[in-house]
Amino acid sequence: MEIIRYRRDVWGEEVILGVSWDLLWVVAVTALILLAAHAIFMAVLAKKKAKPSSEGPRIKRHDAIDRAFHWIMAGSVLVLILTGIAPIVGLRISWLNIHWIAGLVLTFVVIFHIIRAIFWQDFKAMLLGPSDFKEPFDEKIKPGKYSFEQKGMHWAMTVLVIAVIATGIILFLHINTPWWNRPAVENEATLGIFFLLHGTATLGLIAFTAIHIYFAVRPEKIFYTRSMVTGWISEAEMKENHDTNKWKPE
Amino acid sequence: MTFMHIGKDFTPPDVEGKVTGTARYAEDFRRDGMVFARLLTSPIPSGRVVSIDASEALAMPGVVGIFTADDLPPSAPPANPALAKDFITYVGQPILAVAAESEEIAEAAIERIAIEFERRPFVVDPLDTLVEGGPDPYPMGNTLIREGAAAAAGTTASGTAVGSIKWTRDQIASFRAGRFPTGAPWGEEWAYGDVDANFAQCTTVIEEPFVTIGLPHHSLESRTGMAYWENGKCYFHGSLQSQTVGHAQLARMVDVDPANLVFINENTGGGFGSKIFPYPMMAVTGRFAKALNRPLQLRITRADEFYIGSARSGMQGWIKVGLRDNGRVGAVDIAIIGDAGSGGGASGSSAAEHVSIMYQPEAMRYRGMSLYTNTTPRGAQRGPGQNEMAAVLSPIMDKAGRQAGLDLVELRRINAPGPDALIGPRQGTISSSYYPQAIDQAAELFGWEAKKALPRQISATKVRGIGVGEGYHSAGASGYDGLLRIAPDGKIHLHTGVGNLGTYSYAAVLRAAAETLQCSWENCVIEHGHGENHLPHSTYQGGSNTIFTETRSSHVAALDAIRKMKQIAAADFGGAVDDYSIGGERVFLSSDNSKGYTYAEVAQKAIELGGEYSGQVFAEDLNDTTKRSVQAMQGTGLIAAAKDTLPKTGTTPGFAVAMVEIELDTETGKFDILDYTGIAECGTIIHPKGLRQAMNGGGVWGFGMAAYERHVYDPQNGLPANVGLYQAKPPTYLDVPLHMKSGATDMPDPQSPVGSRGIGEPSQGCAVAALMSAISDALDGHLFNRTPVTADMILNHIAQNDFNTGDLKTNTF
Amino acid sequence: MSSHDVMPDMGLYQPVTVEDAAGIARQFSTRGWLVGGGQDTYGWLKDRAKRPEVLIDLKGIESMRGIRETADGIEIGALVTLTELTTNSLITGRYSLLAEAAGRVASPQIRNVGTIAGNVAQDVRCWYYRRGLNCYRAGGNLCYADTPEGMNREHALFNASRCVAVTASDTGPALVALEAQMVIHNGSSERVVSAENFFVGPNIDITHTTVLRPGEILTAVRIPAKWANAEFYFEKVADRNVWDFALVSISAAMRVNNGVIEESRLVAGAVEATPRRLDRIEQAIRGKARNQQTADEVAALAIQGARPLNFNHFKMPLLENLVNRAVRGHA
Repeated sequence: MEIIRYRRDVWGEEVILGVSWDLLWVVAVTALILLAAHAIFMAVLAKKKAKPSSEGPRIKRHDAIDRAFHWIMAGSVLVLILTGIAPIVGLRISWLNIHWIAGLVLTFVVIFHIIRAIFWQDFKAMLLGPSDFKEPFDEKIKPGKYSFEQKGMHWAMTVLVIAVIATGIILFLHINTPWWNRPAVENEATLGIFFLLHGTATLGLIAFTAIHIYFAVRPEKIFYTRSMVTGWISEAEMKENHDTNKWKPE
Repeated sequence: MTFMHIGKDFTPPDVEGKVTGTARYAEDFRRDGMVFARLLTSPIPSGRVVSIDASEALAMPGVVGIFTADDLPPSAPPANPALAKDFITYVGQPILAVAAESEEIAEAAIERIAIEFERRPFVVDPLDTLVEGGPDPYPMGNTLIREGAAAAAGTTASGTAVGSIKWTRDQIASFRAGRFPTGAPWGEEWAYGDVDANFAQCTTVIEEPFVTIGLPHHSLESRTGMAYWENGKCYFHGSLQSQTVGHAQLARMVDVDPANLVFINENTGGGFGSKIFPYPMMAVTGRFAKALNRPLQLRITRADEFYIGSARSGMQGWIKVGLRDNGRVGAVDIAIIGDAGSGGGASGSSAAEHVSIMYQPEAMRYRGMSLYTNTTPRGAQRGPGQNEMAAVLSPIMDKAGRQAGLDLVELRRINAPGPDALIGPRQGTISSSYYPQAIDQAAELFGWEAKKALPRQISATKVRGIGVGEGYHSAGASGYDGLLRIAPDGKIHLHTGVGNLGTYSYAAVLRAAAETLQCSWENCVIEHGHGENHLPHSTYQGGSNTIFTETRSSHVAALDAIRKMKQIAAADFGGAVDDYSIGGERVFLSSDNSKGYTYAEVAQKAIELGGEYSGQVFAEDLNDTTKRSVQAMQGTGLIAAAKDTLPKTGTTPGFAVAMVEIELDTETGKFDILDYTGIAECGTIIHPKGLRQAMNGGGVWGFGMAAYERHVYDPQNGLPANVGLYQAKPPTYLDVPLHMKSGATDMPDPQSPVGSRGIGEPSQGCAVAALMSAISDALDGHLFNRTPVTADMILNHIAQNDFNTGDLKTNTF
Repeated sequence: MSSHDVMPDMGLYQPVTVEDAAGIARQFSTRGWLVGGGQDTYGWLKDRAKRPEVLIDLKGIESMRGIRETADGIEIGALVTLTELTTNSLITGRYSLLAEAAGRVASPQIRNVGTIAGNVAQDVRCWYYRRGLNCYRAGGNLCYADTPEGMNREHALFNASRCVAVTASDTGPALVALEAQMVIHNGSSERVVSAENFFVGPNIDITHTTVLRPGEILTAVRIPAKWANAEFYFEKVADRNVWDFALVSISAAMRVNNGVIEESRLVAGAVEATPRRLDRIEQAIRGKARNQQTADEVAALAIQGARPLNFNHFKMPLLENLVNRAVRGHA
């Protein structure tokens, strides 16, 4: 199985074409196996915990604007993944325009989110510190607003999304749009590297999106998903999963 | 004058083979143990080979060897190397050859060879390298330097180098805008008369820029060669236009004594100037075969042929023409930048010479240079210089004529070169000219006056255009050898080193010997095409040269035979040599024709006498090739061999004039040629069918040059867009008129024993020029100032959308 | 790129049934190559611009030959040669549009061996792509033709999504105009796709020109009776009149009653990667007199939305003019 695809450039020299799409299947199958294993483990072997009640006082977890951001971003990422892999898996749709429009949407909401997170939100709540790394190994330690897994997922998605956006913008500059005509490619090897990075980041994004969706729909975590829709979690859910000393909701 | 053979049709002996497919070309020959070689060509337009790793290829079963530039004598730019190493100068340039037991293995091996290249800047438009700071096609510059002097143009003979010539941005901008660039340096320059004073006397003066784009020769037979070595001799099956003139050169190329080289080339599938002399790839075929000690065929593919098969130079130019009030051309000032591709030479001076002969200006100045580009090497192609000049000149002269209120044919007639015409910078004389009569003959056959009166608008979407064009090329040389042998069986073996490039002239010129010998053609045997047929040193087949030159050689050989026969007869029957005559294939006493010998008998006597009669002794002024042939035949009959020392002065001209009527569709940009009339002025017609073929063939290619064929390169990566034959677009059967009218003045040139001159090149020049003129006429005199004029250009012009390529850009759409 | 000009070492299968052919095609998938007349095959292979491992020669399949009359029109076997299309009385009599289009393909020699299926399934026209460069259409990640100095005189005016190549087929537009149905066999079942949907543009599938999937074979083309003996107009403008691809072609079928156009299908060739249905024109001329005035009124609609490149602006007036001719009914 190849990892990187190569081609001959106009001069006959071998240059990188992009990531091998064989890896798409590797990523898909690996993610499925791991998640299935996790699901089986949780169903059969994991210690069953009582599910905290969703009734009772409600604690605000996400502002409406942040929920909107999340779902726009989620939608655009899913559209980008779907349109991006459509030609690879042989799905015949006119994908490119949808792809770059979704990419632009993602870019704008990510920029919005970064600015909002830095200046208007509790940026530190998402920072990963050394103490966070003890959390998975000690049941007594409860997280603040975001668990170690949530922070890890967030930062992984941050890196991957920024990577696909950065490389995507460069590739975007190489196609015709309503605003510009594409330039001649001066260096095909460099272009290939951008395709490689874009593809590799996409594979990572697919994997982490799959993990994210899996956990979002797991019974013990689904209240977080609900909170991303409604904005709140119950006090019981908060107390069961969070350290109220570390997270003091408004 | 009444001739036995001259002016009469005959069937050349190779016709049947060509019709039935039994004619064999170089690629058709096989030899036991033969291996197949194929070329690996450059993917980059400019650079050098850093390293070659052929280990994997050489380890493949069936691969027998590799041949690179290191296996050839060194060559330095601007010489066009057979295999490139330190100077790769165009995409498609051969780098190495691989030989294997089969072509398939050779090609598979080529794919396993890894080459590391170093890339260099490249350029595909001469003006882009001429501008200061512009990229150079060679690391050392962009133009040919002769012996250190800043001279350009011509061939890549020894004593040349690549140097640099640059213009300022302002000068380039001025030239691109159609103005003469003040103060710009040129590579070469000539003038005669007082140009400025003559312009002052002109009442009509026009200035126009022009571009002609080069085009590949694309000879139908690619330049495949097969060679094998036996007992120290090199047998070489090749494809050349000329059979013997390049013998010594080819011997040097393959590193063998000329006496040990047997060159075999019975048929050649076109050369159009690209195969006049041995070309570099022949060195690879011969030397690779020697190195492997096996028969070797180096097959040149269709794409290879595009790359190494030569191409016409392009021109980017400016011309100023002045007409006096009587319609005479008073002065011409012309400047031409020639696109010499990656090697070879441009033809600016020849182009200017065309203007000088066809319009006989009182004064003229030419300035030019030849610039290299990273496109395929250029070389002579049917009327190099003259024909592309004819193409763009015709509509420009039409414009001048219209401004002066002259009929377009009348303009040509007023300025037509007659017998007293002068040519070129030295204003040399010509051998003869009946060209003014040719114009009249064409106008009458075409019906110029009647067609002129026809309405221009044929229908709502169809317009008529009529045009006139003129072609010229020098058409004859002297000093070559004639050779014939009369065998004891009475057969007259006419030996010729003229190549058989498909025009049948190799046979037609021998008719002059039969004419002189007063013998039947059926009794003649043509010996040609194979070194072991003992051939004389004959002229090169190029430049419309063969007919004039070789009828003279044939004639002098026949005269030598007659002299010898008369001497033999006089010795046996008494009386003086001058008392004897020939006739009925006998030599006899004029006063008593019973006293004499048949040609068969005299041949037998010659063998018995020996000495000069049967080739033991021969003239010292014969070329070595001829001497070897005479020696090889000694004692086999009456051997006649002589060098052409007949008087010759001035340039021998070939002229042609054509008239074209087209119907142009203003909605599609396409046109149909309704009438084509071409009249040759080539002295006496020696072979009417051959002449018609020359006029038709030249006409068809002229249409191609006018409307379809050109080099197109992507300037971003140096890639040619039209490598294949279908992309190169030679005209097809449905692009030309079903019937093309042709004729000739059929008046004798005094310097030819049979009165004939050549016409191969003017036949194309007149056609391209006439069609360009007709297209312009159909569009109310619009000048595209460019060849070819394609349908898209016509559509853009009609749509007035300003999208036609301008700014003197070349090698482009 | 070196010019190889010999066939590569590859396998050859010569099935005699569609089922076997489809089975072999399915087995080798993208490593197999279907060949009929071979006129758009051998060049690719000899240039090593395409590298399939096996050739599946369809010429032995008798069921794919011949032109048959059906209950609703005719069925043309995929292996029917272009020359047969120009001489068959069913075609020349009822669907002369197709006969004319077939008669303008390439050259007589090519028409003698080239098939209807090969002509519609042939690859696009773009000299960069056909040179073997690894562009988008060849599975690469860039286009050489649509660049600031790209030499794109023959390229697309419409619907270029990264790739600006154009359809090279002369019969494709005619079949779209005739509402032909393409019969596709996969060895076990058959599907029928309209000619209009048979061709795919680069926005949908940049590496293919048709909907044919690996393992599928175009076995026949059906032409419904609907357009039999309609008024037709075909014109192809190419640089040369023989052995050349179209610069632009127009295929039109019309039902005209008392001089009024009741229904029409106009399709242009060589202006985008697929035959281009000119539905705006069709709508605009419905119910109008077939004459010069109507033609002048509607022709400009044909170039709405065109996005010319560096060297192909001429295709706009050319397309407009050919539409004008098709609508008015004469050159």
